[in-house]
Formats: sequence, C-alpha cells, structure tokens
Amino acid sequence: MRFYSVQTCFCLPRASRRLALFFLGHALCFTAAGLRAQIPTAPIEGLRDATPRVHAITGARIITAPGQVIERGTLVLRDGVIAAVGPEAEVKIPADARLWPVEGKTIYAGFVESETDAHLPAALKSAATRVDAVAGAPRGGRGGRGAVAAPVTETPVADEAARSWNPRVTPERQVARMFVADDKADARLRELGFTTAVVTSGRGVFRGQSALVSLNGKNPNAALVRRNLAQHVAFELGGAREQGYPGSLMGAIALIRQSLLDAQWHAASWKKFSELKSAGAERPEANASLAALESVTTGRLPVVISAQDELDLLRAQKIGDEFKLRLVIRGTGTEYRMADALAAAKTPLILPLNFPAAPEVDTPDKAGDVALATLQHWELAPANAGKLAARGVAFALTSAGLRTPETQFWTNLRLAVKRGLAPETALAALTTAPAKFLGLEDLVGTLATGRIANFVVATGDLFAANSTAEISAVWVDGDRFETDASQKVDVRGTWKIVWTGLPATAGTAAANPPGELKIDGRTATRPRARFGDKDAPLTVTRRDVTLLPAVELFGGKDGTVRLAGHVTDEEISGTGLLPDGAAFRWSATRQAVAAAPARAERKVEEKFFATADAYPAGVLGRKGPPVQPEWLLVKNATLWTSGPLGRIEGGDLLIHAGKIEKIGKGLVAPPGATMIDAAGKHVSAGLIDCHSHTAISRGINEATSAVTVEVRVGDVLDATDIGLYRELAGGLTVANILHGSANPMGGQNQVIKLRWGGLPETLKYAGAKPGVKFALGENVKQSSASPPSTRYPQTRMGVEQVMLDTFQQARDYERTQQEWREGKLTYAPRRNLRLESAVEMLHGERVVHIHSYRQDEVLMFIRLAEKLGLTVATFQHILEGYKVADQIAKIGAGASAFTDWWNYKYEVIDAIPQGGALMRAAGVVVSFNSDDAGLARRMNTEASKAMKYGGVPAEEALKFVTLNPAKQLRIDDRVGSLEAGKDADFVIWSASPLSTYARCEQTWIDGRRYFELGEDSAMRASAQVEREALVQKALAERGRNLATAGAGPGGAAEAGAPRPPPPDKPFVQLWLEELEARHALQYQSIYHDGQNSVNCSTHVLQ
Amino acid sequence: MCSSKFLSVLVFAGAAVVIRASDNIPAPKQSVPVLLRGATIHTVSGADVRGDLLFADGKIQTIGAKVAAPAGATVLDVTGKHIYPGLIAASSGMGLTEIGAVRSTVDLAETGLINPNVRAQPAINPDSEMIPVARTNGILTVLSVPQTAGLIAGMSTLIRMDGWTWEDLTIRPTVALHVSWPRMAISRAPNSPSPAEDQQRALDARITKLRDTFAAARAYLKAKEGAGKAIDVDARWEAMIPVLRGALPVFVQADEVKQIEAAVAWAKQENLKITIVGGIDAWRVADLLKARDVAVIVTSVTDLPLRREDAFDAAYANSAKLQAAGVRFCIANDGASNERNLPYWAGKAAAYGLPPAEALKAVTLYPAQLLGVGGELGSIEAGKRATLIVTDGDPLEIPTKVEIAFIDGARIDLGNRQTRLYEKYKKRYEQLKK
Repeated sequence: MRFYSVQTCFCLPRASRRLALFFLGHALCFTAAGLRAQIPTAPIEGLRDATPRVHAITGARIITAPGQVIERGTLVLRDGVIAAVGPEAEVKIPADARLWPVEGKTIYAGFVESETDAHLPAALKSAATRVDAVAGAPRGGRGGRGAVAAPVTETPVADEAARSWNPRVTPERQVARMFVADDKADARLRELGFTTAVVTSGRGVFRGQSALVSLNGKNPNAALVRRNLAQHVAFELGGAREQGYPGSLMGAIALIRQSLLDAQWHAASWKKFSELKSAGAERPEANASLAALESVTTGRLPVVISAQDELDLLRAQKIGDEFKLRLVIRGTGTEYRMADALAAAKTPLILPLNFPAAPEVDTPDKAGDVALATLQHWELAPANAGKLAARGVAFALTSAGLRTPETQFWTNLRLAVKRGLAPETALAALTTAPAKFLGLEDLVGTLATGRIANFVVATGDLFAANSTAEISAVWVDGDRFETDASQKVDVRGTWKIVWTGLPATAGTAAANPPGELKIDGRTATRPRARFGDKDAPLTVTRRDVTLLPAVELFGGKDGTVRLAGHVTDEEISGTGLLPDGAAFRWSATRQAVAAAPARAERKVEEKFFATADAYPAGVLGRKGPPVQPEWLLVKNATLWTSGPLGRIEGGDLLIHAGKIEKIGKGLVAPPGATMIDAAGKHVSAGLIDCHSHTAISRGINEATSAVTVEVRVGDVLDATDIGLYRELAGGLTVANILHGSANPMGGQNQVIKLRWGGLPETLKYAGAKPGVKFALGENVKQSSASPPSTRYPQTRMGVEQVMLDTFQQARDYERTQQEWREGKLTYAPRRNLRLESAVEMLHGERVVHIHSYRQDEVLMFIRLAEKLGLTVATFQHILEGYKVADQIAKIGAGASAFTDWWNYKYEVIDAIPQGGALMRAAGVVVSFNSDDAGLARRMNTEASKAMKYGGVPAEEALKFVTLNPAKQLRIDDRVGSLEAGKDADFVIWSASPLSTYARCEQTWIDGRRYFELGEDSAMRASAQVEREALVQKALAERGRNLATAGAGPGGAAEAGAPRPPPPDKPFVQLWLEELEARHALQYQSIYHDGQNSVNCSTHVLQ
Repeated sequence: MCSSKFLSVLVFAGAAVVIRASDNIPAPKQSVPVLLRGATIHTVSGADVRGDLLFADGKIQTIGAKVAAPAGATVLDVTGKHIYPGLIAASSGMGLTEIGAVRSTVDLAETGLINPNVRAQPAINPDSEMIPVARTNGILTVLSVPQTAGLIAGMSTLIRMDGWTWEDLTIRPTVALHVSWPRMAISRAPNSPSPAEDQQRALDARITKLRDTFAAARAYLKAKEGAGKAIDVDARWEAMIPVLRGALPVFVQADEVKQIEAAVAWAKQENLKITIVGGIDAWRVADLLKARDVAVIVTSVTDLPLRREDAFDAAYANSAKLQAAGVRFCIANDGASNERNLPYWAGKAAAYGLPPAEALKAVTLYPAQLLGVGGELGSIEAGKRATLIVTDGDPLEIPTKVEIAFIDGARIDLGNRQTRLYEKYKKRYEQLKK
C-alpha cells in the first residue's frame, strides 16, 4: 500500500501550477503513464479486475479551481490520478482512454468534507450521536433525556498503555488506526459531491488525530488517503464528581493549557535524555499522549478546536494565540456575532450549514417561548458565511450537524449564496479552503495534473442561488459513481401509448389506446397523470413507473388496471395487468415535454428585520458601548460619596472623560457639557458585589478535585448573561466573579465591571488584584453529597491538611524551579499551573477569598495564613466571623458577609444579622455580598440591614456595598466612592439608597450610562417591534412549509409514533429532575433565562 | 462493631442538638388591660390616629386621642412611636422546617402526588428558632403551608407566633387546600433535556391526574351521601369534602401566565373558589383575575423575571399592576428562615409603583382578608385581636425597629437566638478590651 505523502510532490508554486494546467498536459500524460496504480496486498479471490482505468472526460465546462474556468475542456485520468486537464484543443486524449462525452455538464474538483463522524467506531462517536442511535432516532435528531446532558461520564477508548492520566486527553489516538469501512455513509456523502472526508473522533478534550478518507466505498486499505491531518480539541466535560476532571468549562481550558505545557516539557526532557546518551540520567516518563502533542506545540500539525457557542470562538482563539498553534476553529453557525474578532484573528473556520427552521410561533403561547435571539438567528444564520467572507475570514463548509443533509445541504448552501456568499467562495469552502487548512493542497481541492482523480459532474452551475442543477456523477480515485439524482427522471409531457397482446375483453381499448397520456405537475417528483381524459394515479420511483388508468377504459367496472414500466430516455415500456390477471405489453413514447408551468414569477423582495450588529443578540443588546460625554455635570443631588466628603445635600458631581473631576456645590461645567438635573435625587457610588457567580459559562465549580486553583473564571465569562443587565438595573457596577465552593482550593476569580453589551474581555476590570477562591466546611467535605462521597477531605481536619500539603508542594516546586535556574538539575521541572497559582499565593501576588462559616475553621485558616504568609482578602459569607472578628482584623482580612441568611444548613445555625456590625466594630473591613443573581439586584437595601442589626450609621452602612468591597478587592484606588480622580461609576436613585422605596434610575460606569429607566423601556419597545415583525415572517414561512410538506420540523411528521405517558414518579425524583433539567440547560447554554439555580449555598447539585 | 456504635451515638447526639427548643418563654394570657399612650396609630383600615390605644382580654377596646386607663391597667407611654397591626405572612414554611440541608429537620412536603389529607397543624414545631426570629421584625401571624413536588400538598394552618404547643399557636386549623399547578412552559431549545412532545405529554398526564382526583373525590362524596349506609373511608377524599362543598378554598400555586389561565379555567369548570399563590405573571392576566374575582398571594416580589425577555422589574412591579387593575392581592414571602423580610418585599413593590399605603395593607389587612380572618386581624379596630406592634418608624423601611409586640394582648419576648448570640459575643470583645 502506498500513501500519498507530502513528499510525493507536485508542489509547484501557485503561478506555475496554473501554467501546468495548460501547458504541461501532454508531457504529464507520459509521466502519469509511468506511475503505478494502487496495488492491493490481499490475495485475489475469484477473478482479477483488470479493467483499464484510463478515462477522458470531454466537452464539459471545467472549474479547475474557484474562479478558474475552462469553458470546454478535457480531463484525462489515469489510474486514479489526474493525468491532464485543459482546454479541449490543448489536451490530447490518450489512445487507451475510455471516452466520456459530457457536453453541457460542469465539472468541479471533488468536495472535501471537513468533518465527519462516518467511519468512526461507535466508541468514538460523540455522546449525543450515540444516544440517538440507541434510541433509534434519526442521526443528529433530538435524543431522549441524557442525549445532551452536559457531563459525559464514560471514558473514551485509549490505544496506548503509557499515556495521559486523564482519560479525556487522547491526542495519541489516530483515527487512521481505528476507522471502519462504511460504504453507505460514503454513498450519502458522494450524493452531495464529497469525494474525501476528514474523519474526526467525537470523544475527549484532546480527541486525537483525524484522517483523510476517500469516499470510494472500499476497505480501509483502499480508503485511507492520509493519516494524522490535525489534532482535534473540544471543551468536553466529565462528571461533577471525582474522576471526572474536567467538570467545568474552565477546567477543560485549564486541562488544555496544562497538557500543552506538559508536551513541551516532555519533548525537552526526551531530547535531553538522548543528548545525554543515557549517561547517569534516569529516563523520563514515557507518555504517548504528550509525545503526540509535540507536533501541535511545534506548529507542525493544525489544531481544530470545536466551539459550542460564539464565546467559545474567542476562548479557542486565546488558546491558539497563547501556544502559537496552527489553529482552525470549528464553528457553530453564530460566527456573525463575532465577526469583528474573527476578522482580526484571521483564523480559518469550519462552518456548519445548520440553519434553524422557522421557530414555532403558531400560537401566542408558543411564540412566547421563543426568544428574540432565536428569531434573529433564524433570519441571520443563512447570512453567516457571507458576512464572514466579506470580512476576509477564510472558512470551509461542512455538512456535519445537518439533520437531513440530503435535502438540507444544497438548499442551505444556495440560501447562503442568496444571502451574500459569493459562489466562488462557496466552492472554495468545499475544496481549496479545507485543502489549505489541513495541508492537503497536493492531493485534493483543485483539478490539476497529479491530483487525485476526484471530481463532481453536475448538470449546471451548482452554486448559483437559484440553481436547480444536480450532481449526476461523482468520480472518486478515478472511479465513476452515479448519483441517485442521475437516476431521477422527469416524465412530465405528452406520451403516445401503444400496447400488444391486450385481450378482447378489454373492449375498445384492445384495439386502440383511448388517447394520449398527459403528465404534468408542479415538480418532477410529484407528477400528475391523465389518461383517456380520466385521472390516472402515477408513481415514479427512480426509473420505474406505475400507472393506474381508469378500469372503465378497459371495459371493466371493478378492480384495478396496472401499467408498470421502466423509463429509458424518451420511452417507457413494460407490462400491464388487467383485474383478472391477464397480462399485456405496453410502451409509450414522449411526444412533447411539458411546458413550464405558467407560474407567475412572484418576485417578492425578502425583507429583513433582525438586528445583526448589537451584542448580545436578542433583547437589550447594545451596538457598542454607550457614549461617554466629554464633560458631564450631575447637579443638585444628595451625594452619598462613601468618601471623605461624606454626604452632601444639593451637591454637584463633575465628570470628565469617564473620571470624576470634582465634587462640591455650585460647580460649573464647560460649555457643551451634558447636564443632569438631579434635584430631589440621591447619587451614590456604583455598588460592588464581592461575591457573585453571574456571567460564568458551563459550570461555576470545578468540583472534581479538592485542589483546582489552576482554573480561571476569567477564561469563561459569559457576556450574554442577562443577569448582568438586571444587576445594572439595581445599581451594581462591579462584581467579584468567584468559583464555587465545592472544593477547599477552588479556582481563580475575575473582577468585572458590568459593561453589558461588550465581549468577555471588555467586562474584565483591568488591573484588579488576582485572587482565588477557597472554601471550608460542609461543602468541601461534601457532607451533603448524594450518593455519599469519599473524596479527601471528609472532615475539617482533612481540609486543613489538604491546604497545608498543597502549599508545601508549592514551596518545593518553587525551590525546584530555582535549582533548575541555577543549573543544578538535569531535567527541567515540569511546569505545573496548579502549583504556580499556589506559589503566587505564597508571595501575596494572588489573594485568597475563602468561603467560611464556623469560627473553628476560620481560626484554623487564620493560623494557616499566618504560618504560610498568605494574603487573605476576604472571608466569604463568614457567618460566625463575629465570634473571632479580632483575629480576622489582626491579619487584615476583610469580611464579605451574607446579611441575614441562616439555618439553611447546619454550619450556619449560629449566623446572626448583627455579625456585620460586630465585625466592623472589631476593626474588620466588612462588605455584604449576594452570591445570588436575585439579591445582586438590590444590594443597597442589604446595606440598610447593617443599620438595623447593630446600628451602623447610614453612610457607613452604605460603604458595605461600595467602598468596603472595593477595599477588599484592592480596587479602591479607582472605584467604591465618589472622589475626584476615581472612575465615574455612580447610581442615581429616586430616594435614599438605603430606603426600600428607592428605585435605581440610572447606572453609570466609566462615565457611560449603562442603564436608565427610559432607555430600558425604549429598548424593550423596539425589541418588541422587531420581535413581532420576525414572528410574522416566521408564521408566513411556517405556513408555506406546512402547506407543502404536511408538517414542518418539529411537527407531527417528525414526532414519530405516540409514546405512552410517563408513569407517575416519586416526588423527590420529580423535584430532582426539575432541578437537573434547569441545571443542564444552564450548564450548556449562553442566552439562558438568567434564573440562577446554583450558588454557594446550593447543596443539592454540588 | 465498636466504631459503628460510636458513629450511631454521634448521629443521635447530632439529632438531639437539632431539635433543641428555643429559649423564649411564651407569654401568659393577657390578664390586665393595657393602655398604649401617645403613639401614632396606623389603623390601616381607616385614618391614622394620634393618641391612645386600649386593649383587654386579648381584644382591642378603644382607639382615641385620649383614652382613660381602666383600673388596674398597665399604661405604657409610647409617645412618638408608631402602632401598626402585626404583620401577616400569608405563605410560609414556618414550624415545618428548621435547617434546610438537614433532612431530619424538614417536614415540608409529604411524598406522593396527591396529599389532600395531610395537615400542617400537627407538624408545626412551636419551639422552632424561626418563630422568635420572625416576630422580632413584627411578623405575628403566619400561614404555615405544606409543599409538594406533586399536585396536592395538603391543608395549611394559620398560626400566631407565640405559644407552648401547636394547639396554642392555632388560629385556624385549616385555611385552604393547597394545589401546585404543574409547570406548563415547554422548552423548545435545541439543548432541552427532553423533547417538546415529551414535555407536553408529561404535562397533559399531570393535568389529567388533577382532574381525575377531583372527579374521584366528587364520586366519593356522592356515594357517601347517596349510599344510605356507611361506606369505606378514603382519607384523601374525606379530607376534600369541605372543599367540594365550598366550605374551604383552594390555593393554587401558579407563577407562569399559562398556569394561571389554566388554573382559573379549571376552577370555573370545577366550581371552586381559588386564590393564586406565587403569581409572578399575574399582571399579564389582571383583567381575567379581576373578572373572575380571583385573588393573588404574591410571593414573588423579589423573584427573578421568569424569562430572559421579561422586564427587569417584572416581578417588582407585579403588585402595583394588580392593585391598579382592582385585583385582590397581598404580598407574602414564601420562606421560613427569613420570613422577617416580608415588610421589605412590600417596600420593594412600593418602590416600583405600589402606593405605600397599599403596600402596608398588602402585609396586614389584605392577607387577613384573603386568609378568612379579616374580621379578627390585619387592622387596628375595636373588637379585633390585639395583635400589634410598636415601632420607631415605618415598618416597611429596613432600619425601623419593632420595640414592643403583643399577640392577643399578651406582650411577647422580642429576643431570639440571634440577639442572644449577639449579646454573648459583645461580651467577648468587652472582655478583650479590659
């Protein structure tokens, strides 16, 4: 067996290749004849097939590459390879060639399917596909419960003994070693024009290396074209419990980073080992996974990272940039929302054509269930490719992910063309683009001498928006495959019937057929026939015809007369049967082709309503950040400065370019300044929440291990979380987004400003002190885990030890690094992101926010922190902090407390609402936090509770949600109070912010108005108008679909047989299912409804 | 053997700690008349009165600018203070749950779908620490409600927040039958855990089950009345007889507009008197609720909007819209441990459009009326129970303190576990200073 390889090179520079097309044809005929065809290694059973494999396809319009057309050309193939291609006059047809005149046809290079799960063994198919297969649902259809449930708990197969510790890190897996023959899948893909496909494993984070497989329907030996095209990566999650790492998106990203670092280390160590010629040095660990990743880290092998949503595109890009990968991103169809970022990155994409069907909006109920973002995407999805192309983004198109590729692929591709994708670009996306991304240009993608003889013969231009052209044949490896489409016949027209052997009992018909057979109908697939001026039911299957003429024409009254026949060119012939079984022969010749149905070409201009340039999609999206007035003066307000100026009645706030310029009375703004008359209003600094889980994608906890300080919330911000906007509407401007509390040493936090409408990076608070989330008590010892956990630690005793041990490891790690730098070590120490994070803590470069309740554990951690030199920024929740407040104050830690939550679990039975006041009295900087998407909307009245319980003065109480959390987060130099020089983050209230009657009227961040009541109403009103227009449009489309197809997607036709109602379940199960369902949705999707079901006090799902 | 024995002792010890009694001593019955002098009396049902308030034998006697003290009366000078009726929490788990995560302390929901026969009353723990904590903020009357993950939760009980036993606490042993309407929203998201058709089938089955239940109960009643002799007792259908006869209302937990519409239609078909509990979407169908005279116990003032597309203030502004449409309503809290925050939910509704006087009624007179005790509680009127609070300001504002409280004329202890811990640990810091 011979593989095509890069060395088998016809790799001429682009310009010379083009020349070769036209001038080297003759010469190469001889060269090609000298090459040898594929020689099978298996013994021949029966007779050898020695049919010559030399073909000349003549008379066609040949598109050798996108934009390169030979109007009338000749294509010569020899032994599976293109021997010559060029204009008719310039290509000599070899004497031994079989001739294929295809006048009027168009020939394209064979299409490359950039991703397929065909040919994969079941164990490598993605979880969703496999569950569907079990349930008997169509491929890609909606499976039963669990088909999409986030965690995939099964371990994928591994094929190396010495490999990664993590079952989801399988870069060593080679599809070339395990793919299986699948001639049915080959036929399905060929029907669409594909001749080769990139077979891609569907399991794992590092999924392994794909293979290019020829769709020739043969065994793997004949089908494998090239192995190890690219490494494929996806953000796949394991379980929420032990052994499941990663259990969260942030864990998956951390695992990818660590694995790539490990690969670099592994390569360096083995290099060193070979240099040392083993003298005195122990061999490094053998690890096939890391060895396999070397080709990725050195940039030799492309890496395809799969995105699940548009934010993943940015995450993939970041990983690619950090490790300088040869990156390709497998998209989702929503890339148009990230067009700017993608245009800047210039990373090639693989795009699906999975345009949604018109949403179900038939009843007001159903319409109410459909989000505006969904309606917008329905309208915008077909424009995705065109918009990206217009921005200079290169991409391939794939049929993967389509429910019914046989009908959807070309329909959708042409729809994309209609919506702005240039036909040439569409062709490139199926040929040259994937060939380029995956380094296959020497083999496929163009029609040139030496390329594999893969091409598509079509009845016309396949790529025109209104094209009805069909693919009549596909050639793979120089072998011709007819398509089903080529077997379709159009029998519409007028036919003259004759028959022989009709018995006399058939009456007058026996002598002469009663008139002509007339066949019409709107489409070729649904012909309607009349014979003898009576309707005659007609079915056409491929080339077989069955006609049921009226029995009266044959002198009968009852029964059915059948005429069965076969169509060849302009003749149908076959056998007829009378009701009594008497047989006769019949044939028909076409007299005239049916005139095109006189359908008035209603040229209705399609109207578009969806907003495409606002983010996030759907309601309340913004087209860029709100304007920042150069000068802004807020006049006559009661100013709660939370700063040295205290409260100022009738005060003015002057703002310049996003910063507070001056605070006082009777301030004058420069001419042209924006003025706000705030007479009767109150103004406070923007509120700050020191404990939030808003805007985290796919899991707030990496709960699979006791120590996961390598994971970073900053990697997974969800800028579409509607919670951001709702919290803005309550005056919140800054939030500390924390990892959950499922493990003693959780993940790295991210401080954000609530700059709704921006992408994740714009949310980040620049320069915030890095931090990490730790936790103590019931959550981390998993006392409520069901089923019970045995993960270490199970006691508060073990919690201390796990922390201590980790920091001891970190110290040793640091020392080892030092020794390496001093040249004392043979091998470089392995970089360990987990321990590096811990080292940062030991140096005070990363501060600790620790979830804690009971005084014993709090005191334990205080002592530990003192011993290790940790900087504790905050004790979080800290409901028994009032018992040891002096000790908290002593180490300079803050308290970010719940106000009045208590008794939801055993460790909080001693919580008291006076705790905040008591801690403050002991000298602790106290803030109140939310840990809840609902509470985060009304932090101002949480502050009032410090007044009620413990008598904190009003202005000091307000600091619990302004200046104090800013101090805790080390950002009080810029936010937390109204002071000259600080960021213009402020809130305008209808009354004292400490009053329950107060309403937040405006929220400003950086001198930009991110929320205002009137603007809120206006944005909702315009969203409503847009929504109604889209609903009307969707109704019209659904009406058309229902009329033509009987039922649209999701309709009765797809629902399948009715299933029995589910049996009654125990209530606990129902309850859990409800929680799980909600959790699962949240786990996966951006654009969720903002219902926050997971926080640090949730015990059920942790 | 040895270690497992040790463990079981630990478990037992844990349980013993959990079911500890609160340290507050219930007040004795009012024995002498009490005259509160010099306050602003917020009667709620009428105009404010500056003056005096006299109550005796647990009942309010006289309200006036100047009321003479009867012989032997206790006179309290509360000049400058404010008197309000005790606040009423119309939907609570009070007494049925203690520590959420500790299963052994939670008696909120019986297993099974159909539980009309279970009653909150005998499961209410009068020593719950939550009772004194709530009443410290003026919550003096509470509807204790069973919950369910099924369809029929059981019977609620109206309690006063002081007493030695659940019998002491009981104001009305059964107030309503509580039905939880099935969730009706169908997720059509491509990543929904189950297909829309399956969700619809499950929903249809549940609604059929609810209809069948009422049909079975009616059949039972008919058999019982028509048999002319004793029939075998079915505890569930027996419990539903007062409901079927119209003597007991049905409270239907429903938040989404589809649930509310379906429940209202169902009530008409079944000829039942219902009240909606939850009602986050009620404002969308205020006209329907008004037309059918269906009241709403709004437990959802601070809930998140149900849908991404809903206005950020959809739940805040719900009560104001119901009030403007003339729908009978009250505001409740739907919790237990933080029942004390009930007045602030009313304040929040006021911030988003509910007139402040209506907000006050929404946690006093309106819940009394909706729970069938409008003649006894909810306002300061002669003849009503002397269940009231004396404050230093508007109870809907958080910093306001409840200084004195009476339940049926008896002055109750406003301390609680938390105030005691507060005092205890203040001592620690005093000692540290010395």
